[in-house]
Amino acid sequence: MLWACLLLPHLALDGVLRRRPASDTPLVLVSGSAQARTLFAVNAAARAAGLYRGQRLTAAQALLGQFDVVAYDAEASARWHRLLAAWAYRYSANVVLLPHAIVLEVSKSLGLFGPWPRFEARLREDLAALGFRHRIAMAPTAQAAYVLAGVHDGLAVSTDDTLQQALAAVALRHARLPGDAASALAAMGIRTLGQLLRLPRNGLQRRFGVGLLEYLDRLTGAGPELMKEYRPPDTLDLRMEWTHEIEHVEPLMFPLRRLVGDLAAYLAGRDGGVQRFVIELEHRDAPPTRVVVGLLGAEREAALLFDCARGRLERQQLPQPVVAMRLLARELPPFVPAGRDLFDTAPAHAMPLEQLRERLRARLGERAIAQWRRTIDPRPEHAQTTAVQASAPTGIDTLPRPTWLLDRPTPLRGPAPTILAGPERLETGWWDGGDLRRDYYVVRTRAGQRAWVYCAPGESGHWMLHGWFA
Amino acid sequence: MSDYAELHCLSNFSFQRGASSARELFERARACGYTALAITDECSLAGIVRAHEAARDTGLKLIVGAEFQLQDGPKLVLLCENLAGYTALCALITRGRRAAAKGTYHLTRADLADGLPGTLALWLPDADADAEHGAWLQTLFADRLWLAVELHCGPDDARRLRLLESVAATLGIPLVAAGDVHMHVRRRRALQDVLTAIAHRQTVAEAGAVLFKNGERHLRTREALATIYPAPLRAETLRLADRCQFSLTELRYRYPAELVPDGHTAASWLRHLTEQGMRWRWPDGVPDKIRAQIEYELQLVAELAYEPYFLTVHDIVRFARSQHILCQGRGSAANSAVCYALGITEVDPARINLLVERFISRERNEPPDIDVDFEHERREEVFQYIYAKYGRDRAALAATVISYRGKSAVRDVARALGLPPDQVDLLSKVFAWWNGQDTLDERLRERGFDPASPVLRRVLKLTAELMGFPRHLSQHVGGFVISDQPLHHLVPVENAAMAERTIIQWDKDDLDALGLLKVDCLALGMLTCVSKCLALLRRHRGQDFSMATLPAEDPATYAMIQKADTVGVFQIESRAQMAMLPRHKPANFYDLVVQVAIVRPGPIQGDMVHPYLRRRRGEEPVEYPSEDLRAVLERTLGVPLFQEQVMKIAIVAAGYSPGEADQLRRAMAAWKRHGGMEQHRQRIARGMAERGYSVDFATRLFEQIKGFGSYGFPESHAASFAGIVYASCWLKCHEPAAFTCALLNAQPMGFYAPSQIVQDAQRHRVSVRPVDVRHSDWDCTLEDDPASPIASPALRLGLRQVRGFREDVARRLSAQRASAAFSDVADLCARAGLDKHHQEILAEAGALRGLTGHRHRARWAIAGVEPQLPLFGHASPAEDSIVLPPPTQSEDTLADYARTGLSLGPHPLRQIRARLRAMQCKDSRTLRATTHAAVVRTAGLVTQRQRPQTASGTSFITLEDEFGPINVIVWRDVAERQRQAFLEARLLGVDGRWEHVDGVSHLIAHRLLDMSALLGTLDSRSRDFH
Repeated sequence: MLWACLLLPHLALDGVLRRRPASDTPLVLVSGSAQARTLFAVNAAARAAGLYRGQRLTAAQALLGQFDVVAYDAEASARWHRLLAAWAYRYSANVVLLPHAIVLEVSKSLGLFGPWPRFEARLREDLAALGFRHRIAMAPTAQAAYVLAGVHDGLAVSTDDTLQQALAAVALRHARLPGDAASALAAMGIRTLGQLLRLPRNGLQRRFGVGLLEYLDRLTGAGPELMKEYRPPDTLDLRMEWTHEIEHVEPLMFPLRRLVGDLAAYLAGRDGGVQRFVIELEHRDAPPTRVVVGLLGAEREAALLFDCARGRLERQQLPQPVVAMRLLARELPPFVPAGRDLFDTAPAHAMPLEQLRERLRARLGERAIAQWRRTIDPRPEHAQTTAVQASAPTGIDTLPRPTWLLDRPTPLRGPAPTILAGPERLETGWWDGGDLRRDYYVVRTRAGQRAWVYCAPGESGHWMLHGWFA
Repeated sequence: MSDYAELHCLSNFSFQRGASSARELFERARACGYTALAITDECSLAGIVRAHEAARDTGLKLIVGAEFQLQDGPKLVLLCENLAGYTALCALITRGRRAAAKGTYHLTRADLADGLPGTLALWLPDADADAEHGAWLQTLFADRLWLAVELHCGPDDARRLRLLESVAATLGIPLVAAGDVHMHVRRRRALQDVLTAIAHRQTVAEAGAVLFKNGERHLRTREALATIYPAPLRAETLRLADRCQFSLTELRYRYPAELVPDGHTAASWLRHLTEQGMRWRWPDGVPDKIRAQIEYELQLVAELAYEPYFLTVHDIVRFARSQHILCQGRGSAANSAVCYALGITEVDPARINLLVERFISRERNEPPDIDVDFEHERREEVFQYIYAKYGRDRAALAATVISYRGKSAVRDVARALGLPPDQVDLLSKVFAWWNGQDTLDERLRERGFDPASPVLRRVLKLTAELMGFPRHLSQHVGGFVISDQPLHHLVPVENAAMAERTIIQWDKDDLDALGLLKVDCLALGMLTCVSKCLALLRRHRGQDFSMATLPAEDPATYAMIQKADTVGVFQIESRAQMAMLPRHKPANFYDLVVQVAIVRPGPIQGDMVHPYLRRRRGEEPVEYPSEDLRAVLERTLGVPLFQEQVMKIAIVAAGYSPGEADQLRRAMAAWKRHGGMEQHRQRIARGMAERGYSVDFATRLFEQIKGFGSYGFPESHAASFAGIVYASCWLKCHEPAAFTCALLNAQPMGFYAPSQIVQDAQRHRVSVRPVDVRHSDWDCTLEDDPASPIASPALRLGLRQVRGFREDVARRLSAQRASAAFSDVADLCARAGLDKHHQEILAEAGALRGLTGHRHRARWAIAGVEPQLPLFGHASPAEDSIVLPPPTQSEDTLADYARTGLSLGPHPLRQIRARLRAMQCKDSRTLRATTHAAVVRTAGLVTQRQRPQTASGTSFITLEDEFGPINVIVWRDVAERQRQAFLEARLLGVDGRWEHVDGVSHLIAHRLLDMSALLGTLDSRSRDFH
């Protein structure tokens, strides 16, 4: 067997950079708790300014006034990793994910893509095009390829003898030994794999356990490789990006049709359907716009899927021009042909509220239906909101508040009303610049309506109408 | 317009609730024409003394009270009608506070069962005005109960009033108006909202449900109140106010009486003890002058009835002495002949003949001031003695009020305004050391903030308001209040954060204001060191000294001090002190007293140091502004250096009475917080002009007084400190091994890390031996050293130098070794019961070298030790020995530093000297031989970074190389320009100008170079002081 290792030393950072225009602005990825954020990765410009991985963000901020901070997203990083595995799957049926690396068995592929130098060049070309920095090595064991890629980019070892030589020179700190064996051994004066391999096995086993010996065997080929092979996913995640920016919904229909077409083809291939999928419209400087397309039942027909998706997309406001579109389908139930729809005749009219709400939500989108809810903000203007999940906040006093609160207070015209209660003085809201100072009254108008009105503190007259009681 | 008294008002001592200080409240209440103001903090009297002072200063009547929320009952306010009521209130607060964790209280209906005679109760009904609450209160308080009507422009005040009226009518309880006041004026409502949010650990925006809906909870004008409350309700406030006649001035405090044996009075017993002490101190007879002095002092003490205080301090010191706990008193009263005779202090009145004048004075009626320092490791024994002797209800620590400062204030404000944690961190850096006035715009911009943004404007304004507010109570560093009657008759007692500690609710200023006495029992590391050193001398050197019997005025000791060879000694070891010593050249004990006091922010800011030095060296004539002032200033060559002198000048030159001078001293300490110096400025200017002093001198004097601020050092403290300085210097000079050993065993303390202390000992030719499991105990020890060139024992480092090693494990190891030497590592681990962690750190520390050889072998050996099995003993199988490469010198050095923080091997810089030389870096020995003003480059490990507040941005960095320390001065612009190297370099290169004047040398940095990369991962931790 021969294994190629594609080491991806900057996976997380490259994953972020490839979506941004090339720039000299220092940029860092940060991780860690909000109280102790540390730099997870830094780009070249940031490194030149003295920032480094592992530095506290606050320390970095003390050194450099301006730099871009992006939160490190382990999930995104894992997604790029899987994406590259899927890409590597083209070249070999044996693909294994290792931390920051992908190894693939290449002896069977050399006939098709080889010889190795040509194959290697092709891999490098692909990775460069995808925007991922990399180091590549080939060796008779996967573990050795992984280790050698870290110390010698481009090294190719194909026989066991040369493998022994190549490994003997590797410094222990690069040997990817399990646990903390590398630092413990270094403290005993052992610096290279060669020195380690010469130590008595029973002495090593006693001190470091059987795990270290098994690792060394895997490395040298004396023991079995035990690795979990990569399998392509069960969910579908398609993405298209374009070089220009699309500002209107209409031109999005073309890529949409492409992606939905791919989805339909994929579904046909698995003989399944889709009940819900997500279109993500990606923007340059804003979080993506998510459009959820929900169907009443599992469907797979391209035209029908496209119609549903178009219906949802056409209602969409674009906050920013779109630079890429992504289609995510996770719920892929078996396909059962059926022919109902929402406005079918018969007993559909007798649908209970709960069910109607769910149907409307599925059809019109998550946010199309909302519920009134009170907030904890003491200012009337901010006291009501809509929420998808309505659960009232606790601890709010029950206050006399009108059922119908006007969006904007208007002067109360006509003859002076009769005061029923008040003044209730509100002086609050300074914290966001929306401070208000008003005396509110419950009044009865000449026409007999109960109204909620206010005026400046301590005055009476110049009534402003703010709501009506039921 | 009708009169009104506010009966329900919180000050900012209701932490995170009240948004105004008592002073602000009283000033506002007076401006509004109130008749009286009650301060009713929630289950607390912590702010009542301040309220008392504010009331006194504004001439408005204070009603003492407190607010309570019962766990199973109503909310109420209790007001003190008379002294009995006050005592009952203190007892109730004490009960509630002692029953709950620090900062909280727990009270139920049962706690009020005795009806608290002497108090008046205001029932604060909840939204429903539960009549059952009122009925229950009525059974307790009967005709001492009112129903408080508090209206704040709620949704329907008219309805609320009707409800309360009907409840009151049904129950037959009279109604009274009250304000539930949380702030003095309406514009504090933003701060009040912030406090509420802080208390609920929410942002203001999230806290909407608990914020007050408007700003009505302030001291409203009487016009406004007239429109809100019916006249009879307002009139009723006056009746209540009139019934509350209690004032804090009625409190009478008595010292514990049990120290006086039967048949004696306090005075006769004190005289007896003093006579006893005189025979001990002066076995050959008391000099006449001293005897006269003692008579005078005893008479004064008797006149002011302070005997019990002296007896109490004497008793504590006597206990410490009986337990061989080293201690020493200091302070104005301590430096008296009586205290010397009683053994409270070691300052021989014959040696310091000038200090008695600030003993205690009739006019000032100021409580005597004695601080007693104890060995820091054994002070807890003294505390436990006090608790045991007087009982926990009669002895408690004073409180310290922890107030909001720039950093803590901006943190809480920014969090409450919803700023993210990293911005909160940044802001807190900007606000560190902020005085609340200077513009911060520049510093904010530096950190990337826009000071003009509305959010920042709000943060700034609210932070400025919050600064100085009390935040919580903490325990005083050592001030005990001991009383004859239970303390909770005088003041509430509550739990401190430390288990088994209780504190009273008043701090030391409060105690002063009410004339309560406290005894300060402080912890001092150097006394531990001296005590341990004296014990070592008894054991190893056959010398039995006490602090008092060390040879006095020893020339060799002063010669050492004059060379600034003072690493590790008390007080005069810091860089600033060391820079002063070669110029000042202390040559006798009084010079040391001056030396202790002179390197302080007070004299430095008052610009007194240089005139003093010039005069001492004869570079300028010694002059006195007048003949009267000669007596005051003669001993300091005409320059005022001590707090006492400043007071005395005010008396002699500006016509202050001693009592007024004492007020001046208090104002000096507090003017940065409260201001209030203006009246003194005018007074001094006027008084001095009348007595013929120049305006220039008066102005300069006043600036000096302000500069002194709270940093002015009293001579009475300096004298006692100088005694410890002398003792530590004598020991360092004559017994360097024992001194170093004791100093290491008393760590952590002082200015230097163990590495510098050990290197200093080595430079004094003490042989220092490494940590070794075959020889080391927990503490460092002395061993015979026949080869010593200075006939000194060798110093064996103890296991305490090994980071992470536990004391009990070390003791076990020593005990096992005493029975039989360890044969090998397995034997050691088994018999000493070492766990994996301790095994590993011993190998790391190089402490196994005697059993295994070099560190690599030690680690291999330790890794092979198998866990002990109870049945099979410790038989780790025998193994063939293997060959491991030995560590290099630099690896050994790295490991030494990593685990023990010091290395006895070659200094790291010696190991890279060749490379440094190639980079043109001079070593410190070469530097010392370099001429003044040469431009040089050097490099060294950074051992200290200091940026004193007094030095306007100048920083002091201490570097160290194989030949000793190098003092570097970094001006602000250099530090700013090369911030990274300045803040982070561990090996720092410096290009600069070498200055060498009067035996003091330092390097003025022009350029900094971070050369840390040359070191690898050496853990040379700098001690950074900001």
